Amino acid sequence: MTRVKRLTGMLGLALLGMALSGCITSRVEDARIGSTGIEDGESVVIMAKSYHLGNETEEKYISCVEDALARGKDGLKIIPHRQFVDSLFPWFEPRTAPAETKNLPRLMQRPGVADRIAEQRVRYIIWLDGDTERVAGGGSLSCAAGPGGGGCFGFAWWQNDADYNASVWDLQNMESDGTVSTDVSGTSFLPALVIPVPLIARTQSKACKALATQLHAFITSENA
Amino acid sequence: MTAKIRNALTSLLLAAITAGCASNVTLPPPTIPVPLMEKIPITVGLRMPKNFYSFVHQEETYGRDEWSIDLGNSNAAFFTQLFGFMFNDVKLLKVADDPALMNIDALVEPSIDAFEFSTPSQSRADAFAVWVRYRIKVFDRDGNQVANWPVSAYGKSSTEGINDSESLQRAAVLAMRDAAALMIMKLDAETGISALAARESPAVMPAVAPVTTDDESDTGIQTTAMEDEPDDAS
Repeated sequence: MTRVKRLTGMLGLALLGMALSGCITSRVEDARIGSTGIEDGESVVIMAKSYHLGNETEEKYISCVEDALARGKDGLKIIPHRQFVDSLFPWFEPRTAPAETKNLPRLMQRPGVADRIAEQRVRYIIWLDGDTERVAGGGSLSCAAGPGGGGCFGFAWWQNDADYNASVWDLQNMESDGTVSTDVSGTSFLPALVIPVPLIARTQSKACKALATQLHAFITSENA
Repeated sequence: MTAKIRNALTSLLLAAITAGCASNVTLPPPTIPVPLMEKIPITVGLRMPKNFYSFVHQEETYGRDEWSIDLGNSNAAFFTQLFGFMFNDVKLLKVADDPALMNIDALVEPSIDAFEFSTPSQSRADAFAVWVRYRIKVFDRDGNQVANWPVSAYGKSSTEGINDSESLQRAAVLAMRDAAALMIMKLDAETGISALAARESPAVMPAVAPVTTDDESDTGIQTTAMEDEPDDAS
């Protein structure tokens, strides 16, 4: 009987958890150009495209993708992006980073660059582009407090869109292997009847997990 | 007792409203990583203006926030480190030093033309951005100016996960790194500084390179690089 109660309680908590989150829709696509695959000891770097070009990919998102790709027993070896940029200073600064794979051969000829990349065994650079934006919102919520207490009343909602694109560059062949993109839309709600109850859609987090999962499959599968 | 607490809270609230919002940020001397480059094989003298050792910039945003950033000696530390990485030998010159007696191939005088930043409330983005424009004047060993090159750099840092002061500091450091990257890539091409090593020293040093004052650097008399082409080796 106790076990049944415990199970019922857990089920209730799970349902409550599901109910207390916003609505999310997501789409992930990849477009493969070349064959991929990665050997033991080879590593991957996740970089944001330059803010000189108007890109606003969040630092938090890059770290999230790095962590997600490195996690688990099949996790990839990730070189933290700041460590990589510092080790190759000044050739991966926002101003100087190569914008296309055709610039890679010239970059590799610069003093020390090829050696430094080889030391770290960097096989792939993944360039992230995109950001999470609030695209809509509405409703009305007001709160008041007085000597006898306080409370809120109303309803507010907002919609965030997380659009990210990842270009996978193979440094061994000095060519692009393709792209993986994710488009996640999430709507959060905040109803309040004395106490506000936030129903938050974790849009960016979902976009991170979706992109990382697809990127992992993209890199580790050896299909052309 | 309740009245006392209420009065205290009211006083605190009033103080917060009337105090205004002023933020002061101090930038510790930045360090840049060792660049992957071949050093330019010359000996340069580096003479920096006074304000490279104590530089403060203030921005007021629509009369609401007042921000000030104290770069201290960051510019001096930055150029000393960068030029140490870029050239075989760097001699730091004081204002009173005579470059003609220092056995150098070239004298470099950096100065700062402009420093600006934007706050999140100005840009309506969760980021601080810093723009800096340096001016690099290069003189040969005879004191002739051979180049006057403006270096514009930009740095941007999100406020995500860090406080505003740290974000502004990081944006300033990124702007300096951007300037460093530009100078490493283009200083020689824009100023022809490496060619100055080949010039023979005359028997008598006729001239001393002029000391650039802050006032002079603000006038912006010369704005393009290589305005005075170096003479052929004598």
